[in-house]
Amino acid sequence: MTPYRFLPHTADVAVELRARSELGLYQAGLDALRELLVGASPVTTPSERAIEPRGSDPTERLIHFVAEALYLWDTERFIPVKVTASGIAGETLDPAKHQAQREVKAVTRHGADVRVAEDGYRTTIVFDV
Amino acid sequence: MRTEGLIFADAELMRDLEGDQSVQQVVNVAHLPGIVGPAIAMPDIHWGYGFPIGGVAAFDEEEGVVSPGGVGYDINCGVRLLVAPLGIADVRPRLAQLVDALFATIPSGVGASRSDVTLGRRELEQVLRRGARWAVEQGYGFPADLEAIEANGELPGADPDAVSERAKQRGKSQLGTVGSGNHFVEVGYVAETFDAAVAQRLGLEPGRLTVFIHSGSRGLGYQVCDDSLDGMIRAAAKYAIPLPDRQLCCAPLDSPEARTYWGAMNAAANYAFANRQLMAHYARRALGKVFGPDTAERTRLVYDVCHNIAKHETHEVDGRSRRLCVHRKGATRAFPPGHPELAPQFRDIGQPVLIPGDMGRYSYVLVGTPGAFRETFGSSCHGAGRRLSRHKAKELARPRNIPKELEARGVLVRAATRATVDEEMPEAYKDVARVVDVVHAAGIGRKVAQLRPVGVVKG
Repeated sequence: MTPYRFLPHTADVAVELRARSELGLYQAGLDALRELLVGASPVTTPSERAIEPRGSDPTERLIHFVAEALYLWDTERFIPVKVTASGIAGETLDPAKHQAQREVKAVTRHGADVRVAEDGYRTTIVFDV
Repeated sequence: MRTEGLIFADAELMRDLEGDQSVQQVVNVAHLPGIVGPAIAMPDIHWGYGFPIGGVAAFDEEEGVVSPGGVGYDINCGVRLLVAPLGIADVRPRLAQLVDALFATIPSGVGASRSDVTLGRRELEQVLRRGARWAVEQGYGFPADLEAIEANGELPGADPDAVSERAKQRGKSQLGTVGSGNHFVEVGYVAETFDAAVAQRLGLEPGRLTVFIHSGSRGLGYQVCDDSLDGMIRAAAKYAIPLPDRQLCCAPLDSPEARTYWGAMNAAANYAFANRQLMAHYARRALGKVFGPDTAERTRLVYDVCHNIAKHETHEVDGRSRRLCVHRKGATRAFPPGHPELAPQFRDIGQPVLIPGDMGRYSYVLVGTPGAFRETFGSSCHGAGRRLSRHKAKELARPRNIPKELEARGVLVRAATRATVDEEMPEAYKDVARVVDVVHAAGIGRKVAQLRPVGVVKG
């Protein structure tokens, strides 16, 4: 299963996320965000940041999780790589290793709706760029 | 739907909308409670989130709502135009020097920040309360600038306490920076005038050098919007407002949730006014460095307008005067001659309306009209509007060198990353002349001048 796939969107960036579990969906969201932030730059996972889960349904929880990762990028230049038990693992931007691609303003709620089917979890989210 | 949708466009612009969700987004806005008149879209309409980009909607103050999705993440994203006391012919020999100076003086790109402008807690609070006025008092610009800014660059109702610590953290070192995406600083000149008398009043004689600035409230504004959404989703449920899209979450205007958002939104809008005021100050400094201090001092602010905002305004509806909450998301206020909110120098000509195009073609200056006041709650378009997705633009740009192509067309580009330039290539946008012609023909704005770019700083 391809975890994320960018979809045509005129002004912003839409991405379809697919995973076997809710946590897998978070991982797909992080992977898409990382590609937007630093492209294919190789990123390791020497440190972790905590993210408190929040939200009354899978859609809100997903949006909150990815938005928190974006906040860490915006305030600490922390590049998200992997979902962990307490939050995310990744590393801080090193201009010698990583090439920052663009500013991502926000993870929007537009069209976000996590659906659960036999083959797993699926939704689309739109990043405001 | 509680009302109709009204889209200003010609046949070709309507064709550009096929296959995306922007028309559906107009329909969605028409479902919101308390909407007065139609849900409106300008000819630069394109697919956004919640409201379409280019959307305008007015709400009754008692029965209506405020929606962060009708304002956007980049609260008071907007443009300002400066005109310098120089002719383009005098500038060309030192154009590269000027564009380099702008690129060095105004930080752009991912996470751009300024080490020379550090805001302590009390100073940030002043920025949030007083916007461009705070900046001018600190020496960033001139008192006359304030008369040429929508709402004098200081929106009432700002509540710094409603802005979260997280938002303040994101915004504390970004004042006076461009950002990335479609934000820019653009050097150009007046290529053509359509109303020579009004153009002259605005200082836009043919050949004059101009500087266009496009930016907003940076990370602070994005966080204010994001912070408000959880509460607004809960508020929509609490007040039994059905939502066709979560991003249209909203609250009744007289609710506590709306009051909190209103205070934070206006604070973020004031941050954006201060941001553009500082950018203009540093643009003047760059002009001064290349052409001498006299040039910097004589560079005038033509106007500064919001693109993403909700405001309480008085409009005539069915023959009676009503107070409404007008949302403009990717749309420009376009008040007509005689409107009491305009500064004295614009009372007889109407409010300047600034419409940037793409990096390679042209931009326009219009003025507001009585038609806009009748048809669109005093609103007009805000730009060209995208026609290609960023992904598609990058794909087309990959085998090409867009900065070289632009240079061959007489436009020097300085950018923090190639990705932004590729995504913002001219073909990614509609022809803004077409958009402006629709506005002019519909009478919701009147053409004054066309500007052509010669240098662009991108994030």
